[in-house]
Amino acid sequence: MTGLLADKVAIVTGAGQGVGEGIARALADAGAAVVIAARRAENGEPAAAALRERGHEASFVRCDVTIEADVAAAIEHTIDTHGQLDIVVHNAVSPPGPPGPVQAVDPDVITAQIATSTTASYLFARAAHPHLAANGGTMILLTSPAGMEGSGNLPVYAAVKGAQRGLLKSLAREWGPDGIRVNAIAPVAWTPAMTTATQANPTLQARLEARTPLGRIGDPETDIGPVAVFLASDMARHMTGQTMAVDGGRYLGL
Amino acid sequence: MARRALIVGTGVADRIAAGLPGWEIERTPGAESLDLVVWADYPAAACTPHRLTDLSLAEWDEACDRPLRAVIDLARETHEALAANSGTFVVLVPLMASAGGAEYTALASLGEAIRLLAKSLAKTWGADGITAHSITLDPHAFLAARDAAGIAADNALHDPPLGRVPDDTDDIAPIIEWLASGTAAPLVGSSLVVDGGLWMPG
Repeated sequence: MTGLLADKVAIVTGAGQGVGEGIARALADAGAAVVIAARRAENGEPAAAALRERGHEASFVRCDVTIEADVAAAIEHTIDTHGQLDIVVHNAVSPPGPPGPVQAVDPDVITAQIATSTTASYLFARAAHPHLAANGGTMILLTSPAGMEGSGNLPVYAAVKGAQRGLLKSLAREWGPDGIRVNAIAPVAWTPAMTTATQANPTLQARLEARTPLGRIGDPETDIGPVAVFLASDMARHMTGQTMAVDGGRYLGL
Repeated sequence: MARRALIVGTGVADRIAAGLPGWEIERTPGAESLDLVVWADYPAAACTPHRLTDLSLAEWDEACDRPLRAVIDLARETHEALAANSGTFVVLVPLMASAGGAEYTALASLGEAIRLLAKSLAKTWGADGITAHSITLDPHAFLAARDAAGIAADNALHDPPLGRVPDDTDDIAPIIEWLASGTAAPLVGSSLVVDGGLWMPG
C-alpha cells in the first residue's frame, strides 16, 4: 500500500496507543503525513516520534476530543504544520467501565462515553468540514460491532457507538455533494481495553478466538490499519456511509 | 386492573397514548410498577433540518447528547418498576437513524443510539422478565409534513406498498400493545420497521 496516500495529510484521534496508533502507522506507511492527536503527551509524543523514526512526516498535538477549543486547535495545528487536511480518523473513546447492566453503570462513565463518541464526532466533523471539502477528503469513525449488535454488558458503549453510525450515514448523505466521503470501521482488535480485559479474565481470549472464524483477535496496525488506508484512498472513492466490520468474522449476523 | 404505561414525549408519544384505551397512562416516571414504557421524546431541535456545520455545540447538545442521556437515565430509573411487572420497554425511532438523513445528523445519531440501547437492554433485562424493542417509523411521525416528505423521497425507490403512512394511533399503538402482551414474549430485542414498506432493510 506504499504510496496510496502520498501527499495526503491525516489526523488520528486517540492515536497514542491501540487501534488509533495502529491506524496512524498504517496511514503513514501508505505515504500520508500524520498528526497524532492524543490527550496525554506521554503516549502521543512517542507515537509521533516512532513514525518520524520510520522516515515519515508526523507530529503530535495534545487534544481532549471533548473540548471544542482543543479540537479547533488540533485542526489548526494540522493546517499550520502540514499545510492541509485530507483524512480525519476519530478513534478516541473513553473507557467503558466495568461490564454490567445499564442500571449499574457509573454516571460519570455515561457522561464520558457520550462526550468522546457523539460530542467529539460532531466537533471533529464541524471543524474539519471546510478542509475536507477543499480537498475531496474523507472522515472515518471507529465504531464497534457493539454499535450494530448491541451489548448486554456495555449498553452505554453500544448506544454511543450506534450514534456514530447514525451520524456517519447522515453525514454521507449531507456531505456527498461536497465531495466528502464518510465511513466507519467496526474492529475487534488488541486495544488497551482488550488487553486489560483478557488479563483480568484468563479464559476470555480463548473464548473470543474460538468464536472468531479467523481464530484470532485483530492486530491494530496490520489488520485494522490497512482497512483505514483503503477507506482513505481513492480505491474507496465510490464508498460512503458504510461500516466495515474488521473482526475476523466474529459478527457475521450484522 | 388496568395495565400501566409510561409514555414519554409529545407529538407521536401523545398519539400513541391515545391509541392505548384501557391503559392507565403515566407521563412522568415515578410509578412503582409498570407494564410498558414508551420513549419518543425527541426535542424540536433534533426534528428541524440543519446542516451539521450550522449547529453550535449547544445546539448539538440540545438535539442529541442531552436527550440521549435522558433516555439512558429513564432506562435506569424504570428498570425496577418494569421488573415488578415483567414489563416492556419500547423506543420509537425515525427512519433516518438506520438509513441516514442529510440535515438530520443529530436526530439520526440520537435515534440509532437509542435503538442500540434497546437491543442492549433486551440482552440483560431478559433475566429480569423485561423485554425491550425499537420501532422504526416513517419520518412523518417526527417531522413537519413537508420535511418528512423530503426524507421519504430521499429513501424510497417506490411509493410505500401500503399506499399511506401508518397512523400512529390506529396502526402503531396496537403493535406496541402487542409487544407488551404475553403473545410477543419470545420476541426479544427486535428492531421492527413499521413504515408501510417505505424502506425494506436487510
